[in-house]
Amino acid sequence: MFGKLSWSAIPFDQPIPLITSLVLIVVILGVLALVTLKGWWPYLWREWITTVDHKRIGIMYCLLGAVMLIRGFADAIMMRSQQAVAINASGYLKPEHYDQIFSAHGTIMIFFAAMPLVIGFMNFVTPLQLGVRDVAFPTLNSVSFWLTATGALLVNVSLFVGEFARTGWLPYPPLSEAAYSPGVGVDYYLWAVQISGIGTLMTGINFVTTVLKMRCPGMSYMRMPMFCWTVFGSSLLIVAVFPILTATLAMLTLDRYFGWHYFTNTAGGNPMMFMNLIWAWGHPEVYILVLPAFGIFSEVFSTFSGKPLFGYRSMVAATLFICVVSMMTWLHHFFTMGSGAAVNTAFGISTSIIAVGTGVKIYNWIFTMYGGRVRFGVPMLWSMGFIFTFVIGGMTGVLLAVPPADFLVHNSMFLVAHFHNVIVGGVVFALFAGLHYWFPKAFGFRLHEGWGKAAFWFAFFGFWITFTPLYILGLEGMTRRLQHINVEQWRFMLDLSLIGVGVLIVGAICQVVMLVVSILKRDELRDTTGDPWDGRSLEWATPSPPPFFNYAVMPNVEGEEAYWDIKLRAIETQQLSPEPAYEPIEMPVNSPVGFYTAFFATVTGFSLIWHIWWLAAVGLVSAFAGFVVFAWRDVHEFHVPVEEVARADHARRAARAAVLESLANQDATS
Amino acid sequence: MSDSALPASVETLRRLREDPHRVGHRGHGQDGPVQGAGHGATGPARKRIIVGYGFWIFLLSDIVMFSCFFAAFAVQGNATAGGPGIRDLVEMPRVALETGALLLSSYTCGLSFAATNARNKLWTQVFLLITGLLGLAFVLMEAQEFIGLAARGITPERSGFLTSFFGLVGLHGLHVTLAGLWLLTMMAQVQLKGFRREIIHRLICFNLFWHALDIVWIGIFTIVYLMGSVS
Amino acid sequence: MSQPDHDPYLSAAQSFDGGDNAPGDEPDESSGHWVLNSNLGLAFSVVLTVAAFLLVHPNFIYGPDIPVALMVLAIAQMGVHLVFFLHVTTGPDNTNNVLALAFGVMVVFLIVAGSLWIMNHLNQNMMPMDQLLQMQR
Repeated sequence: MFGKLSWSAIPFDQPIPLITSLVLIVVILGVLALVTLKGWWPYLWREWITTVDHKRIGIMYCLLGAVMLIRGFADAIMMRSQQAVAINASGYLKPEHYDQIFSAHGTIMIFFAAMPLVIGFMNFVTPLQLGVRDVAFPTLNSVSFWLTATGALLVNVSLFVGEFARTGWLPYPPLSEAAYSPGVGVDYYLWAVQISGIGTLMTGINFVTTVLKMRCPGMSYMRMPMFCWTVFGSSLLIVAVFPILTATLAMLTLDRYFGWHYFTNTAGGNPMMFMNLIWAWGHPEVYILVLPAFGIFSEVFSTFSGKPLFGYRSMVAATLFICVVSMMTWLHHFFTMGSGAAVNTAFGISTSIIAVGTGVKIYNWIFTMYGGRVRFGVPMLWSMGFIFTFVIGGMTGVLLAVPPADFLVHNSMFLVAHFHNVIVGGVVFALFAGLHYWFPKAFGFRLHEGWGKAAFWFAFFGFWITFTPLYILGLEGMTRRLQHINVEQWRFMLDLSLIGVGVLIVGAICQVVMLVVSILKRDELRDTTGDPWDGRSLEWATPSPPPFFNYAVMPNVEGEEAYWDIKLRAIETQQLSPEPAYEPIEMPVNSPVGFYTAFFATVTGFSLIWHIWWLAAVGLVSAFAGFVVFAWRDVHEFHVPVEEVARADHARRAARAAVLESLANQDATS
Repeated sequence: MSDSALPASVETLRRLREDPHRVGHRGHGQDGPVQGAGHGATGPARKRIIVGYGFWIFLLSDIVMFSCFFAAFAVQGNATAGGPGIRDLVEMPRVALETGALLLSSYTCGLSFAATNARNKLWTQVFLLITGLLGLAFVLMEAQEFIGLAARGITPERSGFLTSFFGLVGLHGLHVTLAGLWLLTMMAQVQLKGFRREIIHRLICFNLFWHALDIVWIGIFTIVYLMGSVS
Repeated sequence: MSQPDHDPYLSAAQSFDGGDNAPGDEPDESSGHWVLNSNLGLAFSVVLTVAAFLLVHPNFIYGPDIPVALMVLAIAQMGVHLVFFLHVTTGPDNTNNVLALAFGVMVVFLIVAGSLWIMNHLNQNMMPMDQLLQMQR
């Protein structure tokens, strides 16, 4: 009846996961009870769960990513503290538990923290910057989000019911095959990542179509903001490589569930093929994360330097260059597997070449600041910290791209330090910069500058104190994923790294305090103009927060930096552009199909993990039924009446007019 | 706070407009109306184009997924672990019949869309039905093939080669099956709702999908069956 | 292709996209053109398919050439499908569609060719001892 599921799946003998999950269950039940008591369900259902508004979906993505970032950070704290105390000792985590923690840390951070946060920003910002009212497929967008949430849910269920994979964040066979990992851990990994991966693939399709086919009049390719270009590059990569992930995980699933021989080490299976395929996805995945991050930095550098982006066209070229070349470098993740000199050399060269494209971008950002009137706001601090951190991370990467050097530090702590250096320094810094930059657009008030700066400095120094020792340890020969350590000389560096984690924790607390303080002081920090940073792209032409239809009339773009032109013209002529003729706006209706799909994806995924075949069948049939019902609906759009459109736009114009007036007064007095 | 306090004065804005280092930019507002109509530069494209293009992108991703299974088949082609090889599997007459069925179904699928363009419900339905029946014939022939192989002890559990064979061919068969389910819902929609805008969009997508499956089958019958029979 | 009127407040409802087509779509064509295309596609495909099935008969052409000939026929037939069934053209209304297709072909090529190259070198360098001995025999 219940497949492999029984009471022994609950980890009664392991206090850490048991207590953690009990606390989590109490918290979740408490939140649900609060929502029920306050009667918030209709609001949540109407405004958030069934929404197809790209801004709301983007915010939900970011919320999901932030929660999972904390979960992944907790895993990181456990790993660093375990290694610090387990020198010639056994530490407080048993090997099988430690293995689950490092696997969960990587899986969660890449798939369920970084990806949702990056996609959240893509969702929120891209249609606003392109001057349109939504993405190409709004309902599909909601399905994407809910499938990602399903994956995250399954990973967290593994904490309480069963176990998680002990095979690392990429489940290398033959260890991950049924013969060597008979438990449900790898199955949790497979279904969680597979389901969320399908969601990500649909996001990629959605955004390629959005950028290519949904732009406001006059927004030609070479007038798109840099962030849109990077979103396009990233989405193209998603479309190109996420099917590889789907295929590879499907093959491993077939091996595990039906005894097939794709990656087994018996009967002609080929475990090396898994490394080959998974990294053909895995390396572009890094660029899927980092390209939008580059886009965020481009926006911040240009805005906070008060200048157009230096070398816009070379930036576009570099983005597309990275997009293509990133699909030709994957072998550098397994130089040591034995492909021989010819193959290793070719991939070593292609890996070094991709650094050229990134180098172009770094110089462009530096020259954007040059000659500008740089404002050292919080987003700018993260961006400048990024340049410093990322350049060093990139240079260690170029070092690793040289096969003979890679042979020495392969799978060592040097590698661990390198990829944290580029992903934290590149992606995470960008996300915090973007958080501070676009938060006022999303919620209508700015974040507190002081706490933001504190968070930056603690995170910046915390990062370096944590990871510099790991570089040194790697060069001294410490391999990654050690549950205990038998080399006394490494104690100092491991302790130092733990201290760095402590500084990072302070930085994380500063972020939380920043959010709380900003919410409490939201009236002081209110953004009345819709343009808090003197922005240059179209999203700042809308009020903060924007109405659900974004633009009362679609803007007409006449040059690069669309909003900057509009703003300057208004300031020079001392008046806003003439009031347009408003028309009713057609918007997509809300749809529960995303939530419905996710519900049955969760049921199906969970029952497949535990081999509850009948329930899996029920889930699949229900999903198909939902597909048919969805195809049958008659109403796809509704019209926003002219009066509502006009009312929203009049408020926006009044705010802009007030700014113009204050500028004129300022001019007169100065 | 002062450094991000806004707005800056008009004077500053004017000064900064004259960016002396405008490398890699065109001038502001200097170029005339945008050329390149039809690529979104003149505003969002029509829904028909957006839907068709999005599905086109999905098809590309689906083809990439197939390419992984092709790669696995190519890599594991000789990993027979002492079991049967490709020459022991191929039955040319059945493959020819399967190919014929799928090719004809592509043809009738194209005809059904011609009827859709003429807003002719009857012929649209007739050709969709023929397409579906040919697809069903294909799936049944493939099932018969797999059952026959299994009866001879040739199953994917036997060797890496057989795994990659059944994986590749089976994945295509699964796609055709799912496309058949989709076809049934499309026929029901055309019958009950007529040629509404979104239903025509879905018919465009269905056409693309069905033809793409035929293109994948060209790869399969060439690389798996024909090349296998001469290897 | 006429230039769209540059009304500064062009609304979404009136958006203009003259000269762009969805893949697999030719809205301006009559259904007669579709039928003609389908007929041509079927004719070409039948010829190419029959040729491919005939080629594998022994002694028809020089043995080692067969795989090359088969690949040529397969690629030709895929092209026929793209042109006559999927209505992909080289016209300006198809630029995006063709570019996306080219990108997809590149990805497929990178994955298949890259995997084969890498795995072949691995097999040569990492061949298990018993197979090495077998080769020496």
